[in-house]
Amino acid sequence: MKKNFFRKVGFGIGPDELVPDDPVSWAQNQVNKVPPLIWDNRIRSGEEMLNHYAEWVYTDREILRKKHKENRHAYREAKNKLRYKVGQKYFENLEICIRQNTVLKSKSPVFERLWLFWCNHFAIIDKDAMPQFTTGPYHRETIRTNMCGSFETLLKEATLGWSMIHNLDNSESIGPQSEWGKNRRKRGKLATVNENHARELLELHTVSPAAKYTQQDVVQLSYIMAGWEHRHTKKRKECNPVRFNYKKHEPGNHKVLGKTYKQRGLSPKNKLFDVLKDLAIHPETRRFISYKLCRHFLTDNPTEDMIAPIVSAWEQSDGNLPTIHKALLKVVYDYADKEVKFQNPEVWMLQMVHMVGGNWPLQADEMKYNFKIKPNNHQRKPRFFMKEIGYEPYRPIQPNGYSDIESDWISPELLIRRMSAPKEIAQRRITLKNFGQMIDKNFDNAEEIKYLIKDIKSPSTKMQLIFPSYRMLKT
Amino acid sequence: MINRRTFLTGSITVTLLGSPLFSALAEKRKKKNLVVISLRGGMDGLSAVPPTDPILEKFRPDILVRKTLPLTSDFSLHPSLKNFHNAWKQGKAAIVHSSNIPYTMRSHFEGQDLMESGGHKPFAEHTGWLGRGMETAGLEGLAIALPMPLILRSKANLDNYFPTKLSTPSPDIMKQVATTYPKDSHLRSTIERVMMRPFSMLSGTGSRKAFRLASTAAKALSKSDGPRVAVFDINGFDTHAAQGGSNGEHADKLYNLDKIFGQLRENLGSTFENTLIVTLTEFGRKVEQNGGNGTEHGYGTAILMMGGLIKKAQVYADWPGLKLRNMFEGQDLNATIDARSIYCSAMATVFDTDFQKLNRHVFWNDPLENLQDKLFGI
Repeated sequence: MKKNFFRKVGFGIGPDELVPDDPVSWAQNQVNKVPPLIWDNRIRSGEEMLNHYAEWVYTDREILRKKHKENRHAYREAKNKLRYKVGQKYFENLEICIRQNTVLKSKSPVFERLWLFWCNHFAIIDKDAMPQFTTGPYHRETIRTNMCGSFETLLKEATLGWSMIHNLDNSESIGPQSEWGKNRRKRGKLATVNENHARELLELHTVSPAAKYTQQDVVQLSYIMAGWEHRHTKKRKECNPVRFNYKKHEPGNHKVLGKTYKQRGLSPKNKLFDVLKDLAIHPETRRFISYKLCRHFLTDNPTEDMIAPIVSAWEQSDGNLPTIHKALLKVVYDYADKEVKFQNPEVWMLQMVHMVGGNWPLQADEMKYNFKIKPNNHQRKPRFFMKEIGYEPYRPIQPNGYSDIESDWISPELLIRRMSAPKEIAQRRITLKNFGQMIDKNFDNAEEIKYLIKDIKSPSTKMQLIFPSYRMLKT
Repeated sequence: MINRRTFLTGSITVTLLGSPLFSALAEKRKKKNLVVISLRGGMDGLSAVPPTDPILEKFRPDILVRKTLPLTSDFSLHPSLKNFHNAWKQGKAAIVHSSNIPYTMRSHFEGQDLMESGGHKPFAEHTGWLGRGMETAGLEGLAIALPMPLILRSKANLDNYFPTKLSTPSPDIMKQVATTYPKDSHLRSTIERVMMRPFSMLSGTGSRKAFRLASTAAKALSKSDGPRVAVFDINGFDTHAAQGGSNGEHADKLYNLDKIFGQLRENLGSTFENTLIVTLTEFGRKVEQNGGNGTEHGYGTAILMMGGLIKKAQVYADWPGLKLRNMFEGQDLNATIDARSIYCSAMATVFDTDFQKLNRHVFWNDPLENLQDKLFGI
């Protein structure tokens, strides 16, 4: 039996779980609907979190900096107080807990793995106060809730979400011939588009460079996107909902990838919807994302044969994500005994926790916070731990997200972290009593793993031997 | 050659037994060091080293750098780069301007891949130019980063260092774990490298601030049996918005870079005389500012160089000018010098290895120019 399949597309088999008889249906049945988030307390909405973000930037920039401009010490003290009041050091830890608790306790671990994949596909980089306030909610509300519809909807929601608009600077775009553009020029100021978002939309989110778009395509798409912004106000800074501001939009028709986009009806905002629709069904988009899915779940070097069934599911279902995911899961199962895939630090750590019944992450009662003093060491552990193992979910440094390639995850220091992390998890208690059973349930070559821990008594030592070993790192 | 043990314990000196990289020749030569600082995001050379050309103000009314530090009659320096400027005044710093890797497509990911691999096609190479160069010269190096940067990757499987606060894996555990990794695999050679470290080094704690790491690295480089190459990464040069002139986002980033220059110089001590520090970035930025007081992805940029191995204080350039017809695609500072010529020349100087040999092994014998005589004193 291909037992590594349960780690390839999930988090392995936990102490209280049985090995499913029909792995492919087991996996495919998990991707039809969005499972609930699991957290024993109220989960704050993205809107609420944007308010915290707004309070943080406004108070700091407009009040504290002016009030304490002569006294650096007083400024620092006041800023720390503000930090605690708005949860600047708290919420990122809380979000990591909500994310990892949901993933670990979910009835649909396969869905959760796909969730982590899509969060990374539409990556939000570490910029401004986004990791502290808004990227977690973006993953929960924008990515997760749109994973069981069409790719087009997911693309549209991600592209026009506050997080992406802010992350890729689209609010900075001013069409040169727009009303604002002309006004600015009259005052001797420049008005141009910011190409960042348009370029990543093509390169990373949809067609990839394989579509051979040109600099002209990028500029034209930037014109189409100009006007999609979060308003910048004195009281809330960048923390305003996304809107379409036609006064910044470049009028006229624009040609992207050989097709001309024109205004239909009264508002030119449809031009972007039309482009997104075409990008979502572009053959290179299907290919690129099918390739990326295989690369994430199956092997660093996917072949044509692996990609083909996923591309075809994409074509036949008009980009229906559950259908695409099911095709992927079948392919992964078919090749499970032939291909091994190096697991990134977060997925690997969650697999370890799941397989030993680890007491991670911190629970809602441990994360109670009074917004008055610095969160305690314990409450800051989630971020600390993720940083140590080299995977901070809300802080990729580039818009292409974290790598899926083995060589990017191997270095002396990163390998040391894989050997240190099991002890941390063991110290927080585990429920697993019978390691032999866990090994039988999770590994085809059980004897090899059992040999590794023979004569070992301490569960912590057992974990330190099993989890950094070859079969766990490469699944 | 390199002895990581000396690096952190300070007292134990052990030769890496049977290290394939050990080169008797290398040991006889005077130890020279190369430090490469990657400026990720696309560093704006027109802001770091602005030309004295009134046309620039037309393109950049809101982000023009003022109160610059004097360099030559044609160029000046961003006021954030004070340490660099001090070195310049002593003839220990130089600039190559209007240069870049031969990549014009303006994508960070492709550009950063190519600036590290030194190749032509994005994502086609799995090793880096510095790694291949060190392999050619038979040297080892050290990356101050948690993952291993592409630039250092090569068959020679190099080392990295980054402080941790987690508990230490015991040597017995490591030995056991290592047996599960296939012979000749990347995992196996990596864990073997870890096992060669002394126990004390595995739990190395310390500050992770870039300038602190710079002082750690400089101290390691200054030891006669320490590593000879170090690589740093600084993020955040992608200044699409609020780039600013003398103050602002770009000024802050340059200030961080300058702090690293300062820490390196201070902690290298007399070794500074045998050291060459060079910067690396994926591209420059457009000449014209955008609506958000920032700049878009461009092409040509400046390379900052510092250290005792610099020939003289100079801005070396085949300056194309900022007239519209001289710009690349009518919008960027053109690149008239292949940056790889500089890196190949730098390696030839520091590694005491023939330029042509390095070019053959590292850059596929591309038409690169040997700039050793022009830029570096030997």
